[in-house]
This record gives sequence, structure tokens and C-alpha cells, in this order.
Amino acid sequence: MDENRKPTSVLESLGEEIIRIIAPVSTCMFLVVLLVSILNNSSSSTLTTIATIVYDENTSDSIWTKFTGALLYSLAFVAVVTVVTFILVFLFYIRCTRFLKIYMGFSACVVLGFMGGEVALFLIRDFSFPIDCFTFLVILFNFTVVGVMSIFISNMPILIRQGYMVVIGILTAYWFTFLPEWTTWVLLVAMALYDIAAVLLPGGPLRLLVELAMSRDEDIPALVYEARPVTYQDSGPRRGVVERRLWREKRAVGGAMSENSNSESNSSQNPNFISDSHSTPGTFLSVGSGQNETRLVIAEEGRLLEEGVPELTAPLIERQVERDGAWRDGQEEAASSESWVEGIGLGSSGAIKLGLGDFIFYSVLVGRAAMYDFMTVYACYLAIIAGLGITLMLLAVYQKALPALPVSVLLGVLFYFLTRFLLEVFVVQCSVNLLMF
Amino acid sequence: MTVAAGLGYALLALGPSLSLFVSVISKKPFLILTVLSSTLLWLMSLIVLSGLWRAFLPLKSTTYWPYGILIITSVGFQEGLRILFWKVYKQGAVVVLMMWKVVMMWKVEMMRWKDDMVALITWRLEDILDAFADRVSKPRLFLTDKMQIALAGGLGHGVAHAVFFCLSLLTPAFGPATFYVDRCSKIPFFLVSAIIALGFVTIHTFSMVIAFNGYAEGKKIDQIFVPIVHLLAGMMTLINLASGGCIVGIPLLYFMATLTLLYCGRMVLRRITENQRRPVGT
Repeated sequence: MDENRKPTSVLESLGEEIIRIIAPVSTCMFLVVLLVSILNNSSSSTLTTIATIVYDENTSDSIWTKFTGALLYSLAFVAVVTVVTFILVFLFYIRCTRFLKIYMGFSACVVLGFMGGEVALFLIRDFSFPIDCFTFLVILFNFTVVGVMSIFISNMPILIRQGYMVVIGILTAYWFTFLPEWTTWVLLVAMALYDIAAVLLPGGPLRLLVELAMSRDEDIPALVYEARPVTYQDSGPRRGVVERRLWREKRAVGGAMSENSNSESNSSQNPNFISDSHSTPGTFLSVGSGQNETRLVIAEEGRLLEEGVPELTAPLIERQVERDGAWRDGQEEAASSESWVEGIGLGSSGAIKLGLGDFIFYSVLVGRAAMYDFMTVYACYLAIIAGLGITLMLLAVYQKALPALPVSVLLGVLFYFLTRFLLEVFVVQCSVNLLMF
Repeated sequence: MTVAAGLGYALLALGPSLSLFVSVISKKPFLILTVLSSTLLWLMSLIVLSGLWRAFLPLKSTTYWPYGILIITSVGFQEGLRILFWKVYKQGAVVVLMMWKVVMMWKVEMMRWKDDMVALITWRLEDILDAFADRVSKPRLFLTDKMQIALAGGLGHGVAHAVFFCLSLLTPAFGPATFYVDRCSKIPFFLVSAIIALGFVTIHTFSMVIAFNGYAEGKKIDQIFVPIVHLLAGMMTLINLASGGCIVGIPLLYFMATLTLLYCGRMVLRRITENQRRPVGT
């Protein structure tokens, strides 16, 4: 019909970057909820012994005792995290990146091997899955090794790297759900406040880290999830990554690359320029920066692609061709204005990176909500996604690293308590009487 | 009763919306965002309503009129929110505008907005989308695009209803037993609530399309149709309060749902044929 010949609407590709972050976050949350509801995690574990160093929550304690105990635990936790982050910044400052990389690999190995192994054992025990220990060990070993490799080796297909990031997030979040209830909620709020302080205050460790990394044009040594950027052209992904030194390189070889006008979608090349991820979970959000350099590079490539547009073979490329128009316009404004769509945050060309710590704490929130009831899960999920959307909008407006935790976590906690105390009674009362609207 | 039964009830309530989502909405990221935001809006309206009514619950089950007032207030509030949704989409949210202007004055680099200033000053989503389309040298929003946005909004409302009134109560259904209600003792409670949820999902989804078209064209009858249908459907669930009432109430609810569907289909068909007869340029 007419629709086939109609030029594609703007609605086709708008908001894609946001979806590319929301999808893995949702997957992580969903799997944690699934794990929490399948496995009975009332048994004690290693994490509770760490938690009991400061305070051992008992259900028979009074509310005040629980609250102060939870507060003490959260303060201790935040203090430890601050100290460790400062050590990390210091090491990054004296360029000990090798040590940081090794530490990253080590922590991934521990999470995947030991925590993953324990979760797998719980599952095997609960479902009476017939497997012998040698097979199990071999599978676990392989799984762990591939995971560690995906962190070190930059040539890994991005899906595997993203998958392992999500798995690490799931496992860590699942273990955090072992914390007692009050401690979890107070800890979440404390971490949200810490995140604001660490990223926005001038002396905050994460802000120092980001500034150091930007001034040196290096990667931030942290486990970050990087959404595959929406590719405008075949060399788009390289542009989208926060590796400005590679952008500079590309400009130098701009001539050679732009003649390659029929280069197909080369997702295998993407990981070349994806940053190696390192060390501790960073709880911040940053977008591919270096606007001015981006502008000039885009201008060159945009002009050259006008000449020969390759035959559309894949949806990825189709989108790129459509975007050609965008970049042609962008050229005129190359020198003066910033990206017209990045202001909305819906058409940003940069890859959006979300620290793994954010994944973990979102999932902890939802997992803890799942321990109460599924209604709270849905409400908290919507709240977190809304918070994430707001943060992404703010990111597009402010164009610098922003804390991703506070808005989502505070909204999530608010919605949890509202749902638990207000909504549930209302809905149950209506539904049981078959009264709906 | 078992995981299978639980999944069955969930799919009964949400099956058509899932297929609608996969076939129409999942292809366009903006529509996914619209679904999520309208679900959130519905949830917030529900929380506000439950906050308002918290002091009066639990209601005595013998009298009907408290429930009637409950339904009327809830439906009225949600219809008001629908109009708000439309206004944010089409016209202006002055408060957001003011906040936005303040933010903009702070940051010098906000001057990059100067080209979009007209659109942004009134926070017209549709205008923003059209301006963006002009930038990327694409055609402006088609009629079908606008209807798809309305459909996504309605689907968000419907899914929110199904999730909070049906799915969130399904947790016991995954266990070994089932649950019956006195008033409707022939079929399990979960099945009844899933069937009612399906009816309401249909009503919510398509009435948003009707409402947006009504506001866009300025036709009063479309604008009135939606709140009336919503209110009637809500009132019909009051029939369920009578013992054995669900045998009458649920078919009536489905009658309203079918009515909404047919009305929406007729209206969409009319608009599309009108649009095609006109030369290109919506």
C-alpha cells in the first residue's frame, strides 16, 4: 500500500538510545526478581556475616533499634565505599592502570565464579537438576573465564560483554538482597545521597575521577555498561564512544576512511573502540563527550557519504542512510551550535554509559520490593524507569557526568512505601469485590 | 493452581496487549517510551486516589453507595488526567515551561535551543517532534503516527490497569490451590479478574485513540464519548457486588468494550479515508 513508499517517519528512530539503556536495566531487574522469588533466601550467607559486624537485625527488635542499626550499617558502608573510591582515584592519578585492570578482572572472577557458583548451586538444589560436580566445575570455570576475558579483551562481540555486565550486576544485586530489610532501605537512600555528593561536589571522588579521565582522554577504570550507540554511519560507533583520542586519530586518517563508502555494518569492529572496563562499580552516567571534535568529524564524513550510498542490506544501515539527512543539516551548524537533538536527549550520538553500581542498586531495590509483593515490584520498576528517563534527559541537557542513582532510588523508595501502605489496601479492596475502573 | 495456570491468567488479561506491543509498539522506541510514561501516569493517579480513599477503607460490604462514589471519583480523576495528558502532548504545561525557562537562563549553552525556542516555550510535544522532523529533513508526524502515539498511551493505561488490578494479585495463583469469591462462586477469582481486566484493557486502549482524535478534531461527541464509556463501565462493575451479579456484569462490560472498539475502528477508518482523499500534507 502507500505505506511502503512513504518516507519513513521521524518516529522510527527517536528515543532509541534511551531504550537501549532501559532494556538491559529492565532485564537485570526482572532476573533479580525472578531469582528472589524462586529461591528462598532466608538462609544466612557470607554477606550477612559482614552485615552483622556492625549490627545484627532481629525481627524482635524495636523499630528504633532497627533504624539506628540500619543507619550505622549504612554509614559504615558509605564510609568504606568512599575510602575505596578515593584509593581508586589516587591509583588512577599515579597511573597505576595495570593494577586497576587486574583488580577489575579479579573482582569479575570472584563475582562470576564464587557468587555465580553459589547461586547455581541454590538453583540446582531447589530444582533437583541432575548434574555431577565435575561437569558443573568445568562449566563454571569456562563461564568465569569467558567473563573475565570479556572485560580484558576489547575484541569481544559487544553482546557478550553487555551480557556479562548484566550477569555480574544480577549476581551482586542478588547477594545484596540478603541484607535485612531496614538495612537495605536505609542503605539505598544513603547510597543515593553519597552518589549525589560524589559526583556533583567539587571534592567528590567520582567527579575527580571523571575529570582526570577526561583531561587525560583515557577510559574511566570502572565496570560500566555501555549501550551500543545508534550508528549513523558505518564508522559511527567509533564516533559514539568516549575515546576522543581515537576520534583524533580518525580525523587524521579521515581521508582514507571516508572513501570506504560501501563499508557494511561492522559490528565486529565496534569493540575495538569500546573502552576496556576496569575496577569498582562506578555509579555515574556519562555520555560521549568532546562535542567540538565530534562536530568536525561528523561534518567530514557526512559530506563524503552523500556521494555514494551503499545498497541497503541491513536495518542498521537503513537507519544510517536516513540519518544522512540529519548530518547534512548538521554540517551548516557545525561550527556554531551544539547538537540540536542532544538537547532533547533523544537523538544523542554518544554512547550512553551506565555504571554497574547503578544496575546493582536498582535491582536491589526491586528485589527487596519483590520480597514483599509483586505490586510493589511493578510500582518500583515504573518509578526507577521514570527516574532513569529523567536522569537521561538531564544528561542531555547538562552534558556532563551525572549521578544516576539519586532520582531513581529516591523515587523507587517513595513509590515502594506509597504502594505498600496506600495502594495495596485500595486495590485489594476493590478487586476482591470485583469492582474495577 | 500451578505456574501454568498463573501464566494462563496473566496471558488472558494481557495477551492482546502483548501482541499489540510486539507488533506495533516495539518497533518504534518512542512508542515504548509513551507506553511507559502513560503507565506511570496511571499508577500515580491510582496512588493519589488510594491516598484520598485510605481513610475510608475498608468499606462495609453491604451498602452499595460508597462503592458508587468510589467509582465516580476514581473515573472522574482519571478522565481529568487524560485531558492533562492531551494538553501536555498538544498545548502547554505552563509550570513546566516556567521551570524550563529558569533552567535555561542559568546555562549559557542553552542558547543552542534558540532554534527550538518557539516549540519549547510551550512544551508542545507534537511541535517538538515536528520541529525535530524538520531538522532531520523528514516529513512531519503523519496521521498514523499521531494515532499510534495515542494508541501507545492508551495501551499504557490498559496495561497499568491489568497489572495493578489483576497481575499483582496473581501471586497465589502460582501455588497449589485457587481462590473463589462469594459473590461469584462459579469460577475462580483469578479468572474473573483476568476477564474483567481484559475488558478494561480494551476500553482503555481504544478510548485514548478516540479521545485524542476528538480533541484534535474538536468534535464534542468524541470527547464526551470516552468519559461516559469509562464511567458506565466502572458502574457496571458495581453490578458485580450483587450475589451472582458477575454473570450479568461481565457481559455488559464486554458490550461496552466492543462498542468502544467498533466506534474507534469506524472513526479511524473515516479519518484515514479523509486523509487519503486530501493531497499529501497533513
